[in-house]
Amino acid sequence: MMGSSSKTVLSFLLIIINVSFLEGISAKMTEKTVNLPKTIGVWTRSDSARIVDSSNIFHYMNGAGELYLAYGFNHLEVYEYTADQQDSILVEVYVMNTSNDAFGLLSLDWGGEPVTIHSKPSYQANPTVAPARALYGEGLLRIWADTIYARVMAYRETAASKEAVLSLGQTIAVNRKMSAEPELLNILPQAMGSDWKLRKDRVGYFRSHLVLNSLYYLSHQNILNLDHSTEAVTAPYENISDAGTSKRVQVLFVKYATPERAQKALDNFHNAYLHEHQKGFNPGVTKKHMNSFSVEDGWLGYALNETCLAVVFECPNRESAHMIIKHISCNATNKENDHGK
Amino acid sequence: MENNQKRLTRRDFIRGTVGATLAVSVLGVPWANGSEHAVQSSLVTVIRDKNVMDTTFKVDSKILQTMLDQTVLQVTGKVMIQEAWAELVKPDDIIGLVPTPHLNPTHPELVEVVKTSLMKKVGIPEKNIIMAQGGKRRPKQCTALISMPALKGHWLTGIGTVIKNYIMYSGRPSRYHEEKSAKLGEIWHIPEVKGKTRLVVVDAIHPLCDKGPQSDPRYKWAYNGLIAGTDPVAVETVCLKILTEKRRALRGESWPISPPPICVEAADKVYGLGTSKMEEIKIAHFGWEEDLLLG
Repeated sequence: MMGSSSKTVLSFLLIIINVSFLEGISAKMTEKTVNLPKTIGVWTRSDSARIVDSSNIFHYMNGAGELYLAYGFNHLEVYEYTADQQDSILVEVYVMNTSNDAFGLLSLDWGGEPVTIHSKPSYQANPTVAPARALYGEGLLRIWADTIYARVMAYRETAASKEAVLSLGQTIAVNRKMSAEPELLNILPQAMGSDWKLRKDRVGYFRSHLVLNSLYYLSHQNILNLDHSTEAVTAPYENISDAGTSKRVQVLFVKYATPERAQKALDNFHNAYLHEHQKGFNPGVTKKHMNSFSVEDGWLGYALNETCLAVVFECPNRESAHMIIKHISCNATNKENDHGK
Repeated sequence: MENNQKRLTRRDFIRGTVGATLAVSVLGVPWANGSEHAVQSSLVTVIRDKNVMDTTFKVDSKILQTMLDQTVLQVTGKVMIQEAWAELVKPDDIIGLVPTPHLNPTHPELVEVVKTSLMKKVGIPEKNIIMAQGGKRRPKQCTALISMPALKGHWLTGIGTVIKNYIMYSGRPSRYHEEKSAKLGEIWHIPEVKGKTRLVVVDAIHPLCDKGPQSDPRYKWAYNGLIAGTDPVAVETVCLKILTEKRRALRGESWPISPPPICVEAADKVYGLGTSKMEEIKIAHFGWEEDLLLG
């Protein structure tokens, strides 16, 4: 049996815990990144946002949380707009650590209708891939606005809900800096040789093997040692013949924090993916540390240069693997040199 | 020192060595070859009605009830609906209904018509019909389970429909992601679950053909169907076929489910839960023919 003094202590502890908990909630509730209207059309939102951070993201969205944690995630603000006789509108504002992280989330799917939103231009960005900073489709608006990635979704699309969703999107984006796309995207030439054209609608920017696997499956394990200190981009290049048939190769470019980490990642990749092939480079081919291998789905080429690893998959022959990897590597070196000037 | 030959990669899928690699890296048990299986045919029914869901996504329970009746008749091969249900469950069974709660959840109307059928057509008292999604205590109290997942992809396991529907019974769902999703089939063998699944009926009324991780209405479409059978792997295999075909149709080019859903083949070849080979599956489809996606 619990004595009365024990009960008192327990009650006191519970009060302290409760107060601390409520203070935490209160503090979180005052934190907000966007100033959304209380009402939009016939929809009205709750007074405060639900704040989700890395400690409770799985409670909010189960395994989907892995996606956001795979990028630099700060927190998420969630609003729900409801109305009588109408399906609700969900607003999720993901506050990411960098603009690149927010861009990465949008880059996972370039489908949808490009929408112009009024961000504050800090300088004229010359996009490599992004057709727009906001994409709309069947009730869902996805936005990249500086460090914010937002999803505004009407559970059922109507003319009124579309208008409300786009208006909320404008409010989220207004006066936010119009950051440039990640510099790493500049590594990808629009075309290589006269044959290979970049599929801009399939360019993805990421930091995690989970995201890579959703774009281009390599391995269930993290064989490229990707983590938050790395940044990577992948895209297909397509060669459409006169006969209309197309051949596709996949380019992957990873930038590591240090040359040592890049070397270690290449070793790991080679051991896992090319274990029957001898390691090493063909110094005679170019100045770059380049090699190529015949595997089941074509020729694979890779090159390592300081912190940067370039890999190309599914090439039709050794020559195309070399040409592509050389092109990517030279482009990377030139960009690096430009940056250093 | 790492054994570098034990990591599952893209090349294993091209070479057909997924099983051998998984056997040494994750499963710890041999992956059966196709020839070791006795060839048997599993029946999967696909029942569709164009009008089961309207343009506002409202489901018509009467039409759904008719679709469910037809499903149960076709799965059991019986003529009378009471007989058909009696083939699957007994009046003294304690039935656990297992819908999917998250990301494209099972329509509550489907849960309701199954429950109504069990009460009216089998005579099972309402108190003996349990909502059994959740921890393993729930299936433990049941003598029979009816799995009712909704058709959808999943960004960590490729497909998140039949085999994955019991993941919460493991008590540690995060242990079944990535490469370890190959082990999802083992959950069907835990004592609380083993042998209890009498029917798998997949809610394919409004499926999600992309993997998420969150719902995107562009990738949901009105398939207006129920996909069912007593072989969970065969049902999942047909579901996979429909998702794959829909993705190709949407983009007009190959759009493979990624990561590859290794749980399906493993459920067949390692856990013996059914067949993942299309040639061993007999598909019986009835109703609306347009965009069947089983070509």
